[in-house]
Amino acid sequence: MAPPAQSQRSPSPSQPSGKSEVSDLKLQLRQLAGSRAPGVDDSKRELFKKVISYMTVGIDVSSLFGEMVMCSATSDIVLKKMCYLYVGNYAKVNPDLALLTINFLQRDCNDEDPMIRGLALRSLCSLRVANFVEYLVGPLGSGLKDSNSYVRMVAVIGVLKLYHISASTCVDADFPSILKHLMLNDSDTQVVANCLSALQEIWSAEASTSEEASREREALISKPVIYYLLNRIREFSEWAQCLVLELVTKYVPSDSSEIFDIMNLLEDRLQHANGAVVLATIKVFLHLTLSMTDVHQQVYERIKAPLLTLVSSGSPEQSYAVLSHLHLLVMRAPYIFSSDYKHFYCQYNEPSYVKRLKLEMLTAVANESNTYEIVTELCEYAANVDIPIARESIRAVGKIALQQYDVNAIVDRLLQFLEMEKDYVTAEALVLVKDLLRKYPQWSHDCIAVVGNISSKNVQEPKAKAALIWMLGEYSQDMQDAPYILESLVENWDEEHSAEVRLHLLTAVMKCFFKRPPETQNALGTALAAGIADFHQDVHDRALFYYRILQYNVSVAERVVNPPKQAVSVFADTQSSEIKDRIFDEFNSLSVVYQKPSYMFTDKEHRGPFEFSDELGNLSIGGEAADNVVSAQRVEENDKDLLLTTSEKEETRGSSNNGSAYTAPYDGSSTSVFALQTHIESAISNPTAADHSPQASLAIDDLLGLGLPAAPAPPSPQLKLNTTAALDPSTFQHKWRQLPVALSQVCLNTQ
Amino acid sequence: MPVAASAIYFLNLRGDVLINRLYRDDVGGNMVDAFRMHIMQTKELGTCPVRQIGGCSFFYMRISNVYIVIVVSSNANVACAFKFVVEAVALFKSYFGGAFDEDAIRNNFVLIYELLDEIMDFGYPQNLSPEILKLYITQEGVRSPFSSKPSDRSVPNATLQVTGAVGWRREGLVYKKNEVFLDIVESVNLLMSSKGSVLRCDVTGKVLMKCFLSGMPDLKLGLNDKIGLEKESQLKSRPTKSGKTIELDDVTFHQCVNLTRFNSEKTVSFVPPDGEFELMKYRITEGVNLPFRVLPTIKELGRTRMEVNVKVKSVFGAKMFALGVVIKIPVPKQTAKTSFQVTSGRAKYNAAIDCLVWKIRKFPGQTEPTLSAEVELISTMAEKKSWTRPPIQMEFQVPMFTASGLRVRFLKVWEKSGYNTVEWVRYITKAGSYEIRC
Repeated sequence: MAPPAQSQRSPSPSQPSGKSEVSDLKLQLRQLAGSRAPGVDDSKRELFKKVISYMTVGIDVSSLFGEMVMCSATSDIVLKKMCYLYVGNYAKVNPDLALLTINFLQRDCNDEDPMIRGLALRSLCSLRVANFVEYLVGPLGSGLKDSNSYVRMVAVIGVLKLYHISASTCVDADFPSILKHLMLNDSDTQVVANCLSALQEIWSAEASTSEEASREREALISKPVIYYLLNRIREFSEWAQCLVLELVTKYVPSDSSEIFDIMNLLEDRLQHANGAVVLATIKVFLHLTLSMTDVHQQVYERIKAPLLTLVSSGSPEQSYAVLSHLHLLVMRAPYIFSSDYKHFYCQYNEPSYVKRLKLEMLTAVANESNTYEIVTELCEYAANVDIPIARESIRAVGKIALQQYDVNAIVDRLLQFLEMEKDYVTAEALVLVKDLLRKYPQWSHDCIAVVGNISSKNVQEPKAKAALIWMLGEYSQDMQDAPYILESLVENWDEEHSAEVRLHLLTAVMKCFFKRPPETQNALGTALAAGIADFHQDVHDRALFYYRILQYNVSVAERVVNPPKQAVSVFADTQSSEIKDRIFDEFNSLSVVYQKPSYMFTDKEHRGPFEFSDELGNLSIGGEAADNVVSAQRVEENDKDLLLTTSEKEETRGSSNNGSAYTAPYDGSSTSVFALQTHIESAISNPTAADHSPQASLAIDDLLGLGLPAAPAPPSPQLKLNTTAALDPSTFQHKWRQLPVALSQVCLNTQ
Repeated sequence: MPVAASAIYFLNLRGDVLINRLYRDDVGGNMVDAFRMHIMQTKELGTCPVRQIGGCSFFYMRISNVYIVIVVSSNANVACAFKFVVEAVALFKSYFGGAFDEDAIRNNFVLIYELLDEIMDFGYPQNLSPEILKLYITQEGVRSPFSSKPSDRSVPNATLQVTGAVGWRREGLVYKKNEVFLDIVESVNLLMSSKGSVLRCDVTGKVLMKCFLSGMPDLKLGLNDKIGLEKESQLKSRPTKSGKTIELDDVTFHQCVNLTRFNSEKTVSFVPPDGEFELMKYRITEGVNLPFRVLPTIKELGRTRMEVNVKVKSVFGAKMFALGVVIKIPVPKQTAKTSFQVTSGRAKYNAAIDCLVWKIRKFPGQTEPTLSAEVELISTMAEKKSWTRPPIQMEFQVPMFTASGLRVRFLKVWEKSGYNTVEWVRYITKAGSYEIRC
């Protein structure tokens, strides 16, 4: 139905304005209304068609209401149908006019032709005008008892419509129990299916207020009802089968023989041509066998083939919907799909949303036996014209490297990427090499040799640049030029726009300083001076922190900034297993596609009010309409990214409040942050050490050649950082969320 | 709750609403504006067919020059929604007589309203079976003039038939000549590495049927698939005949097929719908006979010249031939001049798709035509960006050939009046995504 708003926004200037045409039509309709000449119905049909077309393109034809109703006093079903359509469209905006039609709709509800009865009833219920509800009860009641299944089918949905207009009227008329009776006894399966959908909706909504309703809702998944529906499942239409199967997933069988009975009964549904039925059946199988580990495995084996067929047939959109589900299963049990990896190879012309899922699956199923083939294939995609996909595939190679023990061949591949001389390839590969080195430090020699050849001028992306700088700092003892490269980077401090890179640069120079002091001394001085003068709060704070800690004691500083490192064994999983399980529970729904549980995108409190503003354009990424809508993954990633920053900020605020700088609460999941704190705490709680600080600071200033006018030697060792930095909570939250800090950074800097 | 849709919109490429239906009040009428603003007018278009904006989810797909958008506010069943759209479009096509596009929609407003009301009620899919809808739909597609009066049909008693056990077939059909057409249509998907090894290969096949049969016939189809044959030899307790048997990875059937009987006896038996339908679909990954081998050699001679040699070998029987063979060989964007030599067919350079397109109308089996081309390139400033070499793609149709080797062994028709039927069986193999890296 064309919403009335459209009429104002007349689609295009070429459309007729409508005024004269409408009055023309009015005249013609009036002439025909009283006529009984032969063939008049045909001319009426043509006119009605015109009216409907006008209505659809957005011309307001509501002024014809009277004439339309007059002309519909006919037995011609074609005319009636068009008239119902017209009435349904304008009733809501013109309730007064709609009252005119109630009469003739009610009369048609008693027509001898079942089709007219059904159509009239549907139109009556679709008027959606609240003060008409009393007119609905009668026709609905007789519709439910109608001898014709078409009428009953329409009436059942009519009851649901009535419920949504006025729940109390619907319940008071005792319609739910009539529906229940129909559901269990009607001979027509579409009636049964509609009863089921209506009852599910009604009782779910009522359950919160009425105990009886919640009992009834439970009764829907009781053994007799489920068995009754299952026994008739072959009679149901494909869509209704989906409905029944969805209900069956909620049923809890009493023992395993019952489970097997149900599965045997439903096994042939896996061969149904409708993918939706197949998916619904798969859900039943998966949920029934959750507690039986062995059988659950077998179910995976059994459903593999139908799923792969669904993926390879149908439109890309359909296969995307199925792939999302397959993706979920692959993530849950990668080893079961490891021999099917070839199905996840991308075709050249596939849309990127399909490719992206396939890449993730390829990554997940990689194991000792197929890694070589998978990585070879992924390397092909790195040359893809679709740059985001090329990037994803390089990342995929990296992930495989991080999850495999035999990384030998993969490292070579990654290093080849670095030599491809494409900016984005180099950028992605650098980030990966960095992660790889954190897990497998033993490869540092091979990697460093190649990384050393990359000119930092060719690397522009902040993440990649940060990675390169990290490696320069971390392996400065092995890279001949490291101090000089860092120095040149420091010299261009002002041209570096990314705070992330500047932060890394500070840390790298520090690390380099501890390893090769004479060569780095100058650079460190310049970097600290530039850092302290930096307008970015974090950069400023870190620079000052380094400066002070150097002032205090160089060996403590080394322990804080450049401690001996342990290889990272496992990179944090981004999604908690609880969330994953919830998504699995909601198999065969949007949750799987969005990869988040439904409460995150359907509950009102989890999503913001929907308003039309330009800012909404940004929603695309994760939907930040409200904090929680940001995909769980991102939230957690950010949590980790920001750990350090948070604690620093909290400290700042804490000190301004009560002076106890280090009691700020924070979620200490990163041990390295703990380490940092204990170091500092010991520094502060140790007054004797603090006494040395003036001399030390002088020494450092001398050493670095710093005459810091802005940073006079602190009167007390307590780091009273910038007491004015307190922000009000909302600004703080806002800033916090915007901080573009890398995941890796926290760990890196504090190691 | 498996609601499939709260509203459905049909938009043209500019984003104007052609026609829409609001099934539920839980999504506002301005939703389509959100879709226009945040998906159609951004680069997002086409990056993902399922998107959330505010509290609503949008599922969309493009069919010719029309976007079909489904809006829901609950945690809907996505697979079901897409399947519904696909089925609905197929239904519209059958009424429009072929094309589904903007013009067809503009010409058929009333019909589409009628159909949309019947196939979905309050967001729940109802009956999409064309056979049964014929009973309810009063409008005809504009393809034919408004000649026969739909109300002349015996509508009232026809509604009773919905309750029958065979929902997809009307009773009382009569044909003078009883005929069955059966087509096995296979599409071969191939991904071959530049070294000539098969990375991925599978066949998706369809058995399409057209039935013009009187009454309520029972049909039985026998194929040379492994499970079916083994079962048969078991039942008849005699050894399987020697000959090729095909192992199907997975089979799905039209709802008319009696699946219980398939599972117990492994025969495909069914009461067919009237007219055209897809009886079964299958997938095969083992033992695929590739109809064509492509052997490319592409040499980049310096920065401005390339030499392309492609040999295509047909490996099916010498008496057969392929039709409509098209080989697309990608070349860099900065191609300036091309010259060809082909031993068969015709070739030209298509700048719009950056490909050398080589067409061979009729391609006999056991032959190997070649193309050799010289490509001259403009030297550009952005030479650093090396060419990514997309794969060579191929299109073809090979009649009377199945890549899987599947054959129909028998097709039996049984009806209580015992009439004679004529059965026609055809095979055809097409290229799905047939890609050869070079």
